Amino acid sequence: MLDSVVSAETPEGILLEMRPAGMSARFCAFVIDWLIRLAILYGAAFIAGILGGLGVGFWLILFFVLDWFYPVVFELRRGGATPGKKAMGLKVVMDNGLPVTPAAAITRNLLRFADFLPFLYGAAIVSMLVRADGKRLGDLTAATVVVHQPRPAPKATLDMVTPIAPVRPLSQRDQSAVIALAARAPTLTLERLDELALLAASVQGEAREPQEQVTRRVLGVAQWLLGRRS
Amino acid sequence: MTPLHFEKLYSAEWDELEAQLLRIMEGREKQRRGLEPVRGERVAELYRRACEHLALARARNYPRYLLDRLDRITADAHQVIYQHREYGLLRIKRAFLYGFPRAVRAHARYVWTSAALFFIPMLLVGWLVYERPDLILSVTSAEQAAGYEEMYSKAAESTRIRDAQTDWFAFGFYIRNNIGISFQCFAAGIVFGIGSMFFLVFNGVMIGAVAGYLTERGLSETFYSFVVTHGAFELTAIVLSGAAGLRLGQALVAPGRRTRIQSLTQAARETTVIIYGFVVMLLIAAAIEAFWSSARWIPLTIKYGVAALCWIGVLGYLTFQGRREN
Repeated sequence: MLDSVVSAETPEGILLEMRPAGMSARFCAFVIDWLIRLAILYGAAFIAGILGGLGVGFWLILFFVLDWFYPVVFELRRGGATPGKKAMGLKVVMDNGLPVTPAAAITRNLLRFADFLPFLYGAAIVSMLVRADGKRLGDLTAATVVVHQPRPAPKATLDMVTPIAPVRPLSQRDQSAVIALAARAPTLTLERLDELALLAASVQGEAREPQEQVTRRVLGVAQWLLGRRS
Repeated sequence: MTPLHFEKLYSAEWDELEAQLLRIMEGREKQRRGLEPVRGERVAELYRRACEHLALARARNYPRYLLDRLDRITADAHQVIYQHREYGLLRIKRAFLYGFPRAVRAHARYVWTSAALFFIPMLLVGWLVYERPDLILSVTSAEQAAGYEEMYSKAAESTRIRDAQTDWFAFGFYIRNNIGISFQCFAAGIVFGIGSMFFLVFNGVMIGAVAGYLTERGLSETFYSFVVTHGAFELTAIVLSGAAGLRLGQALVAPGRRTRIQSLTQAARETTVIIYGFVVMLLIAAAIEAFWSSARWIPLTIKYGVAALCWIGVLGYLTFQGRREN
């Protein structure tokens, strides 16, 4: 399967679907976080320089905390994401879809060191590329997964199209295909929409009709299937 | 039932659940402002309904936007209803009263192995360097060796008394350095335990070489009085971090009846409390090292007395604390 959805079953017997993040999104998130940390350390170094030994002492502690605990703190907050992950629309959850526990957040971020081996996150890259769920060693050990925040799908509201009844009974698969096409219509170019509508032409009318007509009718059927009647 | 009909029928319930969830997730500040409190049993009921609706909508292949909405609501509610709250002083108190020492004893095999990997090379190399001081040059450079010698020399005692500023610098340095090393020692254990073994032996050799060298130079008094107090926490913590790392490695090498990943996850769960423990020990060690060990005005007898108390305290805590039933 090309689809990389992982699902977790809840006690209510439904499957929560989660879309694991791939390497590129996670890399961008990492770079953003890295820049933020760098900026903080630079700013702090300025102040530390003024304060002398005491300042440098605190700067070293800050360095240590940012190095190991920056992700832990952010991942334990409500969003479950560092600023970088948030910017990329990612978040960290447990395998069962629950928010990350403190123990898991610490484990996955301490193992960052092992992921870094042998150099430049080599182990993490291999692990993420090999596994369908894109986990690095820290995720494997802590039973966590980095997922895309779900983005709401466009609602099919093509109100100007008049609903038309299909000429023959449609299977559920066909119904959902037609509805999905209507939902995607606003994001497609007209030519592509026509092309796709042609494939579904048999639900209403003839393929011989002019393109526009076919498309209009297929979208009409979608409205009818959604439950609109006039 | 058409999707629109379905939505019209139930969307009021979904709206209500969404509103309640938003309130819960936004936190308590807003509740104080006279809004009526969130009703838990109502949220649970709405959540169960939404689960049913999601199952129906999936089975009937309803359009994506409906499924997505139900997906989102149920996922959010699931997170709110089933989340563990692991914070709280009580948990921390319990971890240090029972959890940590018990976990250490439960992993005694790993702790002894780790201690052997750390202390045997340390004593061996210490003895070797004591017998043949030029061997120090095979682990450090000549300048570093001279630096160590100068640091603990008797002359330094009278001339270089650290002021408070340098103490704070030292504190920061020890935290970053020592805790970082122990984290590495733990994390590297995932490489089938080899990583932890490497860090244990490496640190043992380094410490042994420096100790042997300084002893041979006749600086044992300043050196041992400096290291012996915080060593109680620091050396033990390194051994424990190595033990936790070895546990990870063992989980991968011999997973037993679990899959390797299940076994690894289990090992990580067992060792987390040991991590909390050794981090606290290293924080104590850094404080002692920066503010007590370096204080040269304290008479040696007091220093050795306190050191003895620390060693007895640490080892006694790990051996006896939390043996009785809660």
